[in-house]
Amino acid sequence: MEPQCKRRKASESETVAWDVFPVLSDEQSQDAELLEAYAAPIINKKETSRLVKELASIYPLPGVQHIKRVRACKDSGSLNPLEVIVCLVRDVQPIPNNKDLSISALLPSDRVDISGLGKPFLVKVPAYPPLTRPQFEQASRHWPTSFHEDKRVTVALKGQLFTADQKAKMQKFMTAAVMAAKAGRALGMDAVGAVIVDPQTERVLATGHDCRGGANPLHHAVMVCIDLVARGQGGGAYKFDRYPTCQFSVPTSSPHQSRTVISPSVDLLGLDQAEQSWVPYICTGYDLYVTREPCVMCAMALVHSRIGRVFYGVASEDGALGTKYKIHTQKDLNHHFEVFKGVLEQECEELKQDGALIK
Amino acid sequence: MGTETDDNPADHRNTFQPSSEEIEHWMQKAFDMAKEALENGEVPVGCLMVYNNEVLGRGRNEVNETKNATRHAEMVALDHVLQWCHQENRNSKEVFKETVLYVTVEPCIMCAGALRLLNIPLVVYGCRNERFGGCGSVLNVPADELPRTGAPFKCISGFRSEEAVELLKLFYKQENPNAPKPKARKD
Repeated sequence: MEPQCKRRKASESETVAWDVFPVLSDEQSQDAELLEAYAAPIINKKETSRLVKELASIYPLPGVQHIKRVRACKDSGSLNPLEVIVCLVRDVQPIPNNKDLSISALLPSDRVDISGLGKPFLVKVPAYPPLTRPQFEQASRHWPTSFHEDKRVTVALKGQLFTADQKAKMQKFMTAAVMAAKAGRALGMDAVGAVIVDPQTERVLATGHDCRGGANPLHHAVMVCIDLVARGQGGGAYKFDRYPTCQFSVPTSSPHQSRTVISPSVDLLGLDQAEQSWVPYICTGYDLYVTREPCVMCAMALVHSRIGRVFYGVASEDGALGTKYKIHTQKDLNHHFEVFKGVLEQECEELKQDGALIK
Repeated sequence: MGTETDDNPADHRNTFQPSSEEIEHWMQKAFDMAKEALENGEVPVGCLMVYNNEVLGRGRNEVNETKNATRHAEMVALDHVLQWCHQENRNSKEVFKETVLYVTVEPCIMCAGALRLLNIPLVVYGCRNERFGGCGSVLNVPADELPRTGAPFKCISGFRSEEAVELLKLFYKQENPNAPKPKARKD
């Protein structure tokens, strides 16, 4: 999928009154971690390349190759317009009083002509290369760093990844999930609904709602939908026939269809997607729309089912796709997927508030 | 064998600390099931749910026949307990509170979530599950702060773990013809 950078027209926002944001990994969403370093002004600009070369041979700064060795001084009226990282604080013996710090305490004078450097001072530098634009901007306030921008993530974080057309379709599917939630609530269930969609054919393959009030307390809406998809593929462990809203349909695919056209070709999480296959295999490549963030059982069930993407309306207190865990980005697991939240947020929030039955 | 126990007799949940003879006995049965599964070309995981010295649920992995990837042995066994409660007209909430799961392999994150949602007090397992384990290996669902996800439960881990690993190794030498082509893992 290509990044959708185009600005939405004002008129289109009338139909879709919500924004959709990615649920990124901790590494992508946390604040920039900082390290302390000693920097020094470069007295003569012409000596910069010599100084950088000599400093790099003594302090090569392993593990922080993303930081720029030299920065242009913030204060343009400064006497010394360039400053250079001498070393990380952890690279040298502890220095008790930084006020009396001299360059000779940091550098052996026989290997560097230290006369080219001014009085050293403490700075903070980003410990890791930034993964997102907000992290880059935050890190750059301390010391310049290189940044290999994933444009798709940047656009997604602005809530602009999807076109108005795509959002209209999302709204349609989430509306179906909200309707299912209401149907379940009418039967005394918790007001949670879900649908599973094949994004290739745009067909709804399963519609389900919470069925915990029935025979099985584990029949959360997501578990119901996963089993309904299995039914549509000729399997399934349960019958939900007594709940008219819980339905499945048999997947179809036309032979000319390439299963990789609509699926994300660029991976927002920087992780591998399961390979697409022609024969429907559990939930591979499918999208789940669910009114609220799944619990840990349901989130892991989606990993086992190889779901393609998950869209939810609102977060849950014990949610496992962003709140308590981020199962979709969990490093040790063998399948990862993209998660977006905020679809039809208002309607989903309303369901949550009057959801009476909680265990 | 690792276990976290506190000897507070007032804690009702602690009354489900089985004796080592009981653990021996039920885990032997779980291992028998795992071996039987391997002989039938199935995932060699043995799993039983014991209530009041009676086996209410036995599970084997039913993923392939149901085309539902959530049909792990534990989920199947939990369904058996629910069926028993239904037939015997018993309150399943009360039964689960006094039911122990014996399983040869650490339950996955999903199963750990399910066990917790149902307030199972104790899980005894054989080897760790480094790929999916939800009781300490990948995540620690029974111990984490999840106020809306049932009650925390205790685990007794490492029972005949080498033997459980050996059974799994034998199985994974064969290939699962239903799975899509796996990609080589990074790192």
